Amino acid sequence: MIKKARKLGRGVAIVGAGMSKFGTFRGMSGRDLVVEAFKEMRASVDKGFDPNDIEALYVGNLSSDLFEGQAHTAPIIADWLGMIPKPATRIEDACASSGVALREGIIAIASGLYDIVLVAGVEKMTDLPTERVTDTLAAAADAIYELPAGFTFPGLYAAIATAHMKKYGTKIEHFMKVAIKNHDNGALNPKAQFNSSIRDIMASRMKKAEERGQPVPAWRDEMDFLNDPQANPIIAWPMRLFDCSPITDGAACILLAAEEIAKNFTDNPIYIIGAGQASDVALHQREDLTSITAAKVAAQQAYEMAGVKPQDIQIAEVHDCFTIAEIVATEDLGFFNPGEAPKAVEDGIMARDGAKPINTSGGLKSKGHPVGASGAGQVVEIWSQMRGEAGARQVRGKDITLALTHNVGATGGTCVVHIYERR
Amino acid sequence: MTIEKTEKKRIPLKEGLFDIEKGRLTGSKCPQCGQYFFPKRHVCLNCFHRDLEDVDLSTRGKIDTYTISRMVLPGSVMKEAPYGIALVLLPEGAIVQTVLTDCDVESISIGMEVELVIRKVEEDEEGNEVMAYFFRPVKGGSS
Repeated sequence: MIKKARKLGRGVAIVGAGMSKFGTFRGMSGRDLVVEAFKEMRASVDKGFDPNDIEALYVGNLSSDLFEGQAHTAPIIADWLGMIPKPATRIEDACASSGVALREGIIAIASGLYDIVLVAGVEKMTDLPTERVTDTLAAAADAIYELPAGFTFPGLYAAIATAHMKKYGTKIEHFMKVAIKNHDNGALNPKAQFNSSIRDIMASRMKKAEERGQPVPAWRDEMDFLNDPQANPIIAWPMRLFDCSPITDGAACILLAAEEIAKNFTDNPIYIIGAGQASDVALHQREDLTSITAAKVAAQQAYEMAGVKPQDIQIAEVHDCFTIAEIVATEDLGFFNPGEAPKAVEDGIMARDGAKPINTSGGLKSKGHPVGASGAGQVVEIWSQMRGEAGARQVRGKDITLALTHNVGATGGTCVVHIYERR
Repeated sequence: MTIEKTEKKRIPLKEGLFDIEKGRLTGSKCPQCGQYFFPKRHVCLNCFHRDLEDVDLSTRGKIDTYTISRMVLPGSVMKEAPYGIALVLLPEGAIVQTVLTDCDVESISIGMEVELVIRKVEEDEEGNEVMAYFFRPVKGGSS
């Protein structure tokens, strides 16, 4: 094995980023959503740019084939964006697809082949009924082995949660606190699918019951609401409905430029100083079920390339497809020691005003999880937060110069980590 | 271990995972380092040796982690929820992902002893009996 620390051939910066609203959009195709994201990205480029200058497109997408009956998506999106005849490539690594698409865009610029690259992520999921969506997503597990055994993603993450509870004494309440925190953030994000706190969801259900003349549930607070099996049914124990990210339509776009020309686009580019990616075997072949090795390896690569440590990172967007995933992620990234993330959530350390704000966007949990767009969506949040443009959910009292994204495919078969710097 | 008797031709739900006649799961053993795997694989995860041997695996193991699914999924062997799903650690060290059957889901726990059951799950269009594997708690086993 080569153990040498890697660096990029030349510097790469983000000079624009934008996303569509995440949610359910009947009548809109994936390509329409990318156009929405592209428009916002274009408006975010401070000094403007000519779309004809983009040299290549990398699109992250899990399964336009099964969700929309549309394969060969990348050139269609290029056409929709007016990019023909520029090269367009789709990247598929399950829910890490657009995180990996970003990495491929970075590599393409760092190699010297291109100066300006567009990275997109998109998924149009809501045209199918829920059970067929679950089926399509489940195809990203080991289809020959895991699926006949009854495992789909809620089940696989639930099994990780059970192991974490046994090994570290993690409680169901810790998972609930992750959901409450991420919904609190999502409530302040106009792009979020669930643009409301759990307290608001609870209040609106009580109001609805009252209006209909039905018995009004007597929930004392959010925890009480989340403990109610009617309001928050178990999907796969110990994961309940509010532990799971939703089914979402959405797209995000990121404009990358070589460092030496970045200031032609903006005086405030965000530099990508660390990049890592790793793969892992299926869950049953892992030595430790409470951690994702690919995340640790990818993070290690990114930290080494960037020359920074976990404690230097000021904010992060991590892959919280399930609440347990956020707990495991923040431990794998080295923000907390193994088994200590649950206490960090409880103590408010990961809250927006905490020492280590995690998922200020609302995370996949509240913002939504259009699988192929989720990784690129994380980058849009980091771009906004680092430039002080995150509005009501802007992290206060921190000059954010170092941030991280962590994007996972399936249960960690793929993990991709990036570190960002504002100079 | 139990193979439930049927009259008709029995075929596995998925080829290569188990041997219906023997009533055993089929795994791989690495001749170089001795590591066991389930399902069968071509390259050893431990030492990267190729040409692994097919082996019959133990029919008893212990639950390493689990969940209780409240959803019935299209194509799943379970037609009714709730049901347990577990990662079962066999004495050889291989871990099997499996549905748990013949048990009260509330009684499932990490460390519980379970045993293999190969059971008919449906009949296909040609009248073949389609067999799948499950694990269930061992009567009187540690839990």
